[in-house]
Amino acid sequence: MFLDPRIIILFAANALLLFLCLLVNSSLAPLSLYLVVLGPMLVLPALYLNHRSFFLCTLLSGLWIDAALPSSFGLFTCGFLVMGTPIAMARIRFRAEHNYHPILLAHLANFACIVLLTISEGLQYISSPAFWLQLLITTLLSHAALLIIAPWFFNLQRLLFEICHVDTEPDEFPML
Amino acid sequence: MAKFRLDKFKPIVALGLFLVAWWILPAIAKSFFRVSFTEFQAPAWIVSSYLDDLEGFWARRSHSKIELIEAGQELARQKAFYQLLDQRNKTLETEVLRLESILDMPSRREFRYEVARVIRRDLNAWWQQIVIRKGEDYGISKGAAVIFAGGVVGRVVEVNAFTSRVELITSPNFRMAASFEGDVRPVVYQGVPQSGFGNPTGEVRDAPQDLVANTQDPLRLVSTRLGGTFPPGLMIGNVSWLEPGSTGIFQAGTVQLDKRLLSLQEVSVLIPLNPLNYDRDVP
Repeated sequence: MFLDPRIIILFAANALLLFLCLLVNSSLAPLSLYLVVLGPMLVLPALYLNHRSFFLCTLLSGLWIDAALPSSFGLFTCGFLVMGTPIAMARIRFRAEHNYHPILLAHLANFACIVLLTISEGLQYISSPAFWLQLLITTLLSHAALLIIAPWFFNLQRLLFEICHVDTEPDEFPML
Repeated sequence: MAKFRLDKFKPIVALGLFLVAWWILPAIAKSFFRVSFTEFQAPAWIVSSYLDDLEGFWARRSHSKIELIEAGQELARQKAFYQLLDQRNKTLETEVLRLESILDMPSRREFRYEVARVIRRDLNAWWQQIVIRKGEDYGISKGAAVIFAGGVVGRVVEVNAFTSRVELITSPNFRMAASFEGDVRPVVYQGVPQSGFGNPTGEVRDAPQDLVANTQDPLRLVSTRLGGTFPPGLMIGNVSWLEPGSTGIFQAGTVQLDKRLLSLQEVSVLIPLNPLNYDRDVP
């Protein structure tokens, strides 16, 4: 099949996670708290799909996030592909069927997203201690939340594969 | 010797080609993508906002009749009070118009108030914005002023078909002309990065040297008609300390903003009835 149906499933799961995350952030605003939970979105597409499908899924997810967030358009479209391509190329080294490696990758990718956002949107505030304080709180809270969200999200994606009767195993491994 | 295989670099080459293509892609195409994806997402946010309203409706339905009667009585009292204020307001407005005609003053900008529900808040270290449930469908335009019961909220920075994005006054990207209550000399208000602890704050600059502020008697910073976006006299915040600024000529200080800015439910967008025509109105 030209288009892997898992692209749609993974993209829909990413859109759901983003929507829920922004809803929670909206409710947390009076407490000046914010969650960045973007890392898990690029892990399973990179570990499960072949290169062409991974590229399409990650491109769509990036465009979706860029449209939802006030960041400059293209930041996550390009950023996700740059972060996901090394994971996809080295996926033979990771066990995609268990959660341990995907969770570690999700944390790394999430931290990279926070760094990307800071470089892109926050460079003009780097002299402000208030900015760094809020950034530290956001980072700690996001990674604490990710300890719970990432396993749930990966299990949800695998469950959706089973419910939709699509291939539940990763595609052929790339050559290293 | 193992053969060197180039096909393993295919993903890197594809990524490089994509990045180059994205870089040379015309801005109009990127704008098209952004608008398409944003409009595609908007219904989900609008539906969630209506569901929120429905939840509030059912929560209120669970109140007892006694509670509703008490709330009705309280509302009746407030209505009577506001009717009195309205009468006084009309008298004062007539007086102002009479004096303006005597002094031959230029006409003021008039606004239409469009009340809109807040459907999302994005308040963090990188940006300070909210999304409201009205857009081009209600004639909202980019740059329009947004206010609430406590004063200035911010400015519309993006308008979509059914939603708009508002930059809050807490954002470091937000700047406006202001003045202290009872003093016509203009000063500059600017948002600053928020620490996340305590009330939101801003910064006032270019305040004259003779102004003195202290915690017992803080100065009230209000909007002015300079810039044409905001009507005069809207509350921005309180300034309880002023100190010499970096130039030494003027003073600067921290503005304590309203804490309700972080939990806004409803705001009003000011839509000018006679929009400024820069070719015609600017000398």
